[in-house]
Amino acid sequence: MTEPTSPNVTAGGRVQLARPKEPYIPPREWIRDNLFSTPFNSILTVLFTALVFVMTRGMLGFIFGHDRRWEAPATNLRFLMTQAYPDEQYIRVWFTFGWILALAGLSLAAWNAAPRVGYRNLARKAASVGVAVALIGLVAPAMSTSGRLQYVLIGAIPMAAGIIALKILDNHDTRDMSAFVVQVLVVAGIILSLWTVPYGQHTFVDGAARVDSGTVAQSTKLPLTIMLLVIIAAFYVGRTIRPHFKQLKAVLGGIWLLSPFILTTLVLRDPAFDSGHLLSTDIPIGLAFALGGGAILWLLSSAKAGETGRIAAAIILVLAFASFLTPMRMIVRIDALMLAGAALSSATFAGSREARLRFVGGWMGAIVIVNWLVTATNTPSTVFGLPTGTFYGGGLTLTLIITSFTLIFAFPLGVTMALARTSKMPIFRVMSTAYIETIRGIPLITVFIFFAIMLPLLLPDGMEVAKIPAIVIGYVLFSSAYLAENVRGGLQSIGRGQHEAAEALGLTTAQKTLMITLPQALRVSIPPLVGQAIGTFKESSLVLIVGLFDLLFIARNVIPNTSGFLGAQREPLMVASFIYWAGSYSMSKASQRVERKLGLGER
Amino acid sequence: MTASQTEHPATTRPPLWRDAVVVKWVAQVFTLVVVVGVLIFLVTQAKTSLNDNGIRTGFDFIKTNPGFQLAEGIDTSPATGGRALYVGMVNMFRITFVGIIFATMLGVLVGLGRLSGNWMVEKVSTVFVETIRNVPLLVQIIFYDAVITQLAPVEFGVGPISGWFMVTQKGVSMPRIFAADGFYQWAVVVLVGAVVARFVYRHEVDRRDETGQDTKPGFKAMGTIVAFGLLGLLIHPLFGFLGPIFGGIARVIGAIPPGAVQLALIALAATAVVIWIRRFWASFDGPSGRAKLTDDDWFRIVFAGIGGLLVAAVVVLWPGLSAWIVHSTHDFFRFLETKFEFGNWSRPLDGMRPGVIKPDRFTSFSPNGLTMSRAFAAVFLGVVLYTASFIAEIIRGGILAVPKGQLEAADAVGLTKGQKLRHIVLPQAFRVILPPMGNQYLNLAKNTTLAIAVGYSDLVQVGQTLYNQSGRTIEVMAIWMLFYLSVSLGLSSIVNFWNVRLKLVER
Repeated sequence: MTEPTSPNVTAGGRVQLARPKEPYIPPREWIRDNLFSTPFNSILTVLFTALVFVMTRGMLGFIFGHDRRWEAPATNLRFLMTQAYPDEQYIRVWFTFGWILALAGLSLAAWNAAPRVGYRNLARKAASVGVAVALIGLVAPAMSTSGRLQYVLIGAIPMAAGIIALKILDNHDTRDMSAFVVQVLVVAGIILSLWTVPYGQHTFVDGAARVDSGTVAQSTKLPLTIMLLVIIAAFYVGRTIRPHFKQLKAVLGGIWLLSPFILTTLVLRDPAFDSGHLLSTDIPIGLAFALGGGAILWLLSSAKAGETGRIAAAIILVLAFASFLTPMRMIVRIDALMLAGAALSSATFAGSREARLRFVGGWMGAIVIVNWLVTATNTPSTVFGLPTGTFYGGGLTLTLIITSFTLIFAFPLGVTMALARTSKMPIFRVMSTAYIETIRGIPLITVFIFFAIMLPLLLPDGMEVAKIPAIVIGYVLFSSAYLAENVRGGLQSIGRGQHEAAEALGLTTAQKTLMITLPQALRVSIPPLVGQAIGTFKESSLVLIVGLFDLLFIARNVIPNTSGFLGAQREPLMVASFIYWAGSYSMSKASQRVERKLGLGER
Repeated sequence: MTASQTEHPATTRPPLWRDAVVVKWVAQVFTLVVVVGVLIFLVTQAKTSLNDNGIRTGFDFIKTNPGFQLAEGIDTSPATGGRALYVGMVNMFRITFVGIIFATMLGVLVGLGRLSGNWMVEKVSTVFVETIRNVPLLVQIIFYDAVITQLAPVEFGVGPISGWFMVTQKGVSMPRIFAADGFYQWAVVVLVGAVVARFVYRHEVDRRDETGQDTKPGFKAMGTIVAFGLLGLLIHPLFGFLGPIFGGIARVIGAIPPGAVQLALIALAATAVVIWIRRFWASFDGPSGRAKLTDDDWFRIVFAGIGGLLVAAVVVLWPGLSAWIVHSTHDFFRFLETKFEFGNWSRPLDGMRPGVIKPDRFTSFSPNGLTMSRAFAAVFLGVVLYTASFIAEIIRGGILAVPKGQLEAADAVGLTKGQKLRHIVLPQAFRVILPPMGNQYLNLAKNTTLAIAVGYSDLVQVGQTLYNQSGRTIEVMAIWMLFYLSVSLGLSSIVNFWNVRLKLVER
């Protein structure tokens, strides 16, 4: 490629190419070139303009129609978000939301992901938003004259501001500002308007409009303002500590991974811990595995362990499997299996004192987290006082929970499958090939039906699994097959030279896979993996068919059956579609940015 | 570790538990045993659970009366459970085939629209793609269903076609086009015209290459077909002589004993499998010897063998099949015989015109015209729009993947716009487009299962009703799996076949 002509060195020390100047084209020329270049093009332009007009008018007629009942989704917004989460505990939902926003703000700062937007571009966008708003007033059928005037006047403000700004700014102005600031300002405007406009009165209790006052749970304007402040504060905190805190990205990544577990088991469920049981059983088991296991791993990861270490690891593995044949607490079996896995891989982490310390420290952290979460999951919830495993929420919350847990568990399983399918060991290869091809050949809905109906029958006596975990298990098995294919594509793109170089260095197979092959393969597979994550989010709506109360189920079956809004199905469905659309669209845009940043597909 | 390696010479075998070969095989066999063990455990567990719950198992429900009616399909009150499932399968194929055709057409148009130089066209296509593909298909299907359900009856069409299209709560109706008297005879004339047109085209192309004049071969070929079409209006009764010929063929076929057909079919299946495997095998021979077969390839070979065996088994175990083949072929030729009879012709100008039956202004399903039920329309619309938005992206990507140098070279050689498209862009783009396109068709076929949400009687919906009635959950699920696996494998082998044919021969 050509040498960069005028490199700019940013604060982070990275070299960026200067943005090429956009040539300025006068509007008349632009219209001639882009709309009326040939007679055929002119016809197309006229036809498509007519099409757009008719479609927009139809759409607006639908949205503003006199018989539309937008108060159905507005009043039941809380249903859509969390189903019937109890009022007095609603602060937990806001805490969850705040946690996610804080993490998002910190991550935006840590990854320096805020793109910039040019002044001219901004002015153009403001003007086009103004035009769009004014057009709503002009085009929409069935609207009062005063309503039309309102829209036109509101639209005129940004339109005028944008056009004036474009006139003032030089045609080749290259100044820009953070897009994050612009987005926050827009959202802040919307949220702050809640304080003045009286639409806060649609409070969401049993279809009856309630005055927007009282507890935090009923009001949205105060919590939403706090949420706004949280994300702004998190962003600026993240920006301040970024230069001083080298591990920020790794720590944030870890918290993101743990968040679904912490938020669902501890925050939303609020388990009622029994301190006696905790002290007599749970804490001793955890301590024993953390300290005893840590000591074993410390010895095994020593350079002198050699053959004895491997034999010891094998014995632990056998013991761990044997634990499933004897009556024992499930948590002990899980811990033992984890210990066996760690012991087998301990040779990979052998080396300096610091490396061994990190290994043992990681083990202790993992044991603490796993034991804590398993205990919390098995403790009854105080929020509803329902038995173990029964879930307490629905709507968008459930959709997000299913999506995030599926992604988290499908990832390691899928990567394992991909490695097995590309490995040189025939039985592994055939097994994973058969699995992947079978799963990919059957529709997701049959998998869901199978796991909803059949899983309870497949489990041994005394073991129960609620519907949501059963569905998540099925979804994990399903997605991992697709994920494996995406990762396999990445694995196959790695040149032979990399393998040969790794072998020449004397790396073991595990080291080669973990340090050479996988990082490169996963980097290449980022675009398809994000696409799959979007698909997982979208297709989680299929749980409707097995009767889980996800976002779509509430929009389609619950709200149209609430008193006062009987039969109002299209309005909540529109809102649900918009939520799905906003989620998928923003994810795909973000992934395109990451792709550009990583320079994928440009070599 | 490195220390121990230098101490031992490389030739000594490591101890058994350090031997890579041994360890790898032990790990594999161990995993296999664990997986098989878990599966066996689950199956026995399922059996005991089912026994405990008093649920009987077995495939007898296929032969007994299912005791329910289907909303739509070739047979709305099936006599047996198997027949009900068959109707569900046919319904699934109905929507899949029509969906694939329409989704491809729409997707190609939108994909080209996104590459258009016209700003308006490009924006409309982009908004279409970005909106449709980011909303889950199930949400769309349910939404379309809700919209149609709550719709006041709408009639479309202006002027002479006023009232030809109707959307009501019961479904969508449109005119049905049917063949008028003498149409078949006229079609034969046009067919002959098409063959002649091909010769004309060849000839004119050769002439252009020799003389360098623009002889307009495409234009002349089209003219030939039109000329034959017009001629056919006058002379089509002449082709009535085909009627007795078809009648003769029908009588000959009717005399064939089904047993012979059975034998022929088995032989055909065996030959097909052998030829397929040999071809497949040979396709791996390259200049540098035989390429290594991957597991996928082995999988396919084994599957082809099993498929052949299954076909043979079906033919042997189900003698009705060959009888059915004989019958239907016989009936087909009988049908042609009646259509080609000498008496079956019309006045010159009516011969080619297809008849149109307007749908009734209906409150119930109109017997005339074509109707789509509400559920069919919702699923069809959802599946077509959703798949089209993905196909559009594939088409766009494929065309953008053609290197710019190729187009510049084509310009330099002096190819016209059409030639550039036909000889340079499309062949290269097609290679990139085909594999993901096949995937989209597969997705479409699998996505038709969402029909269950709006009550369209596809295989999953019928199966669910069936197991709710009979309690045979495992059996129904096994049938689902078998069916969808065979559909997937069948579709993917068709795509693979084209893929192999189009593949660049790499050196």
